[in-house]
Amino acid sequence: MKHSEKPNIEDISTSARASILAKIKAQVVGADYDKLPQENAFVYPTLNKTEQLAQFYLHLEANHAQVIKLAEADLASVISAELNKRAITSLLYGKNTDYATSMASLAPQLQLQAYDFSIDDHKASLFNDYPAAVSSSRCAISATGSIVLWPDENEPRTLSLVPPVHFVIVDANTLYPDFQSLIEQQQWQKNLPTNVVFISGPSKTADIQQTLAYGAHGPKELIVLLLNS
Amino acid sequence: MTDQQASPQLEEQESKYAKSARAFRDNVTRDLANSELRSNFRGAMDYLMDKRKAAFCEETELETLRIQCQQIKQRCLAKLPILLEQLEDKLTQNGIKVHWAETTTQANEIIAQLIEAKKGKSVVKGKSMVSEETALNDYLAQRQVECLESDMGEYIVQLAKEHPSHIIMPAIHQNKQQVAKLFAENIEGFNYNTDVDTLIQQGRSILRDKFCSADVGLSGVNFAVAETGTLCLVENEGNGRMCTTVPDLHIAITGIEKVVEHLADVPPLLSLLTRSATGQAISTYFNMITSPRKVGEKDGPKEVHLVLLDNGRSQAFADEELRQTLQCIRCGACMNHCPVYTRIGGHAYGTVYPGPIGKMISPHMLGLEATSDLPTASSLCGACGEVCPVKIPIPKLLLRLRKESVKPKDAAGEVMKGQGAGRSATEAFIWKAWALVHKSSLLYQLSMWSLTRFRFLMPKNLGPWTRVRTAPKPAAKTLHEQLKNRKSQASTGRG
Repeated sequence: MKHSEKPNIEDISTSARASILAKIKAQVVGADYDKLPQENAFVYPTLNKTEQLAQFYLHLEANHAQVIKLAEADLASVISAELNKRAITSLLYGKNTDYATSMASLAPQLQLQAYDFSIDDHKASLFNDYPAAVSSSRCAISATGSIVLWPDENEPRTLSLVPPVHFVIVDANTLYPDFQSLIEQQQWQKNLPTNVVFISGPSKTADIQQTLAYGAHGPKELIVLLLNS
Repeated sequence: MTDQQASPQLEEQESKYAKSARAFRDNVTRDLANSELRSNFRGAMDYLMDKRKAAFCEETELETLRIQCQQIKQRCLAKLPILLEQLEDKLTQNGIKVHWAETTTQANEIIAQLIEAKKGKSVVKGKSMVSEETALNDYLAQRQVECLESDMGEYIVQLAKEHPSHIIMPAIHQNKQQVAKLFAENIEGFNYNTDVDTLIQQGRSILRDKFCSADVGLSGVNFAVAETGTLCLVENEGNGRMCTTVPDLHIAITGIEKVVEHLADVPPLLSLLTRSATGQAISTYFNMITSPRKVGEKDGPKEVHLVLLDNGRSQAFADEELRQTLQCIRCGACMNHCPVYTRIGGHAYGTVYPGPIGKMISPHMLGLEATSDLPTASSLCGACGEVCPVKIPIPKLLLRLRKESVKPKDAAGEVMKGQGAGRSATEAFIWKAWALVHKSSLLYQLSMWSLTRFRFLMPKNLGPWTRVRTAPKPAAKTLHEQLKNRKSQASTGRG
């Protein structure tokens, strides 16, 4: 038998598991879970769509996001104009998305790049060559001004994270009042993807003397393109 | 086959925090004398208390949420063994490998070997207090693995070769002048500049290079959902997302008490966590990780591991009262509102978790022998218990820990490691005598009589008491005698 130089971590884990579970199981022997108290949630006042939108807008603005209300037909022109303002000449986007076709009508001087490569071979380029990205969103939450992204193979996780300017398209019809009602209505517990991320503003930190600074590690700017039909 | 050798055993060493916790009194003396430090903490705590207050404008909402979250955490703790097994099953189904560790050394060894198996040389860390608990950075450094903190506050603290002084805002003890000086001394080409944006952008540019090149990302976990096998991370900076998305290997580490039963348990807990911590309705990012990269996906780690750490938590779990310690969701509100923490700062405790939560949980992690002073560092004003989002009766638990620390070592039913470590024979004798005197009226009168008659014998120097106070001087007559005199005066004087 081969003598290994290091303790076997499988063995460590197996015996730690047995020991921890034995200790805590001994404490809950005979516990009657039916006797746990009834848990009551706070009932928030119901807001109508207009109020929800106003709340959503207010939170995002307070968190330093830029919110632009627009019609779907104007997506390309608004993005072009915003990029132009920032002297940005290229945009990373997701293929096969609802907005992909409208990206064809971006201003001609803009270089459009689909995120259709694996990060493995393009890490350095992803970090250095893409000043801006656009992504879609699954839905949004008005109570906290949060935009919900379910990244997938068309829109990878880093699309909304690495480029310093992030445009995110939000359909006002997908607005939910809060996190709780969202997971209830969409039955999230049945099927969660690899990653879900809530974004509620540009990346920020207050780690130096409680002074807010934006663009800590993620996007410095979050531009919310709110489609309101 | 006879020469078969079992793999070598792990050598357990005493935590470095046990040593620094033992030096609590000296640390306090040192830090109380540092006026810059005190003003940094005062400013930061005032800021955080105001932020929290503004985030809870409706009292009934706050109270309903607190009761609900207390019940959620108590339910999840009541079902802890079932939920841990369910979490393990679900995570395994999702492709996330689960490891268990009873001690910090076990956790560190598991992580070190996971990294070595991938020939990893560099780790970027999102914020993880549990990895501070295990002193992971030191352990990996010994194995020639570089571990870089990527949370801005943690990055500053690491650059300064310090530890976090606050669980949410690790560099709260430093002001911007100090950070600017630190950067100028340690970062090539950085000229002293106190503009916070400039400082953050400097950190950003260094750390983005590291995210891009690191082999491993390490993170903590805020909630681990048993129902779905999901790891939830709360953060503002985006470094947590970077660490859990860009490197090929993601290792998460957390305490066994972080498991929640349902996904539906998360929204109220999250709402109370961010509002109690920094007054935010929600953090900039809320990140839910349910599996490694799937076929066809273009990014995300190829392997995800979770290390579940005990480190004394099962000891707290074993006592119904002390179990409430494990309800903690690590918001930091108790320290923000603690008059002791505000004055002595986070480093004086010498432990990973400072403030009221630290005083409550460190004795389980390090034993009472090293930490018996900590529960006494409280005026029991009750502010911590009042703001605790999960209603942990912190002052009550501190009293309980004080009792455990002076309980005779051989008393039946040892519930804590180091029970009785704070017991002093003199103190025990004094209290025994006190009890005796108060039980017998004769002894009581006699002792009061001698105390008043021999009051000139009261020494001027009473140790720590007289360092900042004058010595008490007993009255010339006992209260009983004085009242008696008054009565007789009243009956004879008037009429």
